[in-house]
Amino acid sequence: MTILSFFKPVPGLKTGAVVVLSSVLLTACAMSPTSPDGSEDVRAKLTELQQNPDMATHARIELRDAEAAVKLAEQPLDDDEAALADYRIYMADRMVEIARAKGQTRLLEAERELLGEQRDAARLAARTLEADRAHAEAESARSSQADAAAQASREAEELQRQIDTLEAEATERGLVLTLGDVLFATGSAEIQGGTNQNLEKLVNFLNQYPDRNVLIEGHTDNVGSAAFNQNLSRQRAESVRRFLTGRGIESQRLSVYGYGFERPIASNDSATGRQQNRRVEVIIENRE
Amino acid sequence: MNNYMIRRAAERIGLFTTLFFATVILVACASAPLPPTESLNAARDAIAQAEQAEARRYAGAELEEANRHLAAADQAVEEERMTEADRLAQQARVTAELAMARTEAAKAAAINREMGRGAEALDEEMQRQGDQQ
Repeated sequence: MTILSFFKPVPGLKTGAVVVLSSVLLTACAMSPTSPDGSEDVRAKLTELQQNPDMATHARIELRDAEAAVKLAEQPLDDDEAALADYRIYMADRMVEIARAKGQTRLLEAERELLGEQRDAARLAARTLEADRAHAEAESARSSQADAAAQASREAEELQRQIDTLEAEATERGLVLTLGDVLFATGSAEIQGGTNQNLEKLVNFLNQYPDRNVLIEGHTDNVGSAAFNQNLSRQRAESVRRFLTGRGIESQRLSVYGYGFERPIASNDSATGRQQNRRVEVIIENRE
Repeated sequence: MNNYMIRRAAERIGLFTTLFFATVILVACASAPLPPTESLNAARDAIAQAEQAEARRYAGAELEEANRHLAAADQAVEEERMTEADRLAQQARVTAELAMARTEAAKAAAINREMGRGAEALDEEMQRQGDQQ
């Protein structure tokens, strides 16, 4: 009976229960709108990512998952469930960070495609440049070759003109310029009349072609002894050299020989032949 | 007398029932905390994956943290704090996943830097060749 009597309605108990219940409910209502501490930080981080267009594009799914985790972390909990609140915040925070990292990875991958394109473009430009350069080089080589050829033919023409003015004869030894005996008085080695047209032309020619060396050979007729003629021919050749060095031609370009009457070009039997034999030959050597 | 006996019997049945339920509840309470095997396995898998992706090099701190959580979870299982163990295992998994994601981001950044350098070198080369001309 004691048990039964416990369930008997006690006056005032009902009122008390209502008061207790309503106060519990009121307390619950007062606590409910507050999210656990720390959840605002995670929400802020998530919002920042969601507002970043790159992240919104490249981490859409991860951001959605993170959003769900953050919402769970924001759910109000009782004071005695602080551990659960911390756990939820931790999880939400990690998921936001995962979304960030994955978004960055995909953004980098997208940029990589762009980089690849840029590199290809750079390569193409390099190749085009190279081809252009090769083309230009070939062109310039061609034109310089043509220039050289034109130059050579101009030079050849010029040389021929010079040779013509010099009235020299082209032989296999070189250009042979024969200075007649009119230069010298009989038995004398001195050049007559100071200047001579032919010698002036020779000086000009040698100045224009400084790489050409000169042989100066003296010859005589057969009047007199061999020794006398040899000496005379040499002295005549020497005076031509003196003349040339006096006009500024380097002496090392000039070689002198006296042949006497060893090398006649005409018969010594006639006066005309002897005159032809009395001569100085200037041989301008061919270029090596 | 008869009436009395019936009441005694009823009281006994009530007692036995109470005892039975109490036992059932006690047994239930003792066997209820099963270890969070699934969460623990998931955490171990995630950590292994991150390690394979060289997370130690690119996201060492995160990997370390995941391992710490896993160790704490194992400890909690031994002490039969199963709810805590499950949470710790989940934390270990999510942190290992973060280590993995950050590793991949770091690798991608390294590749891009390398590519950028390559393109730059090419540009410079071109610049140099252009100057020569």
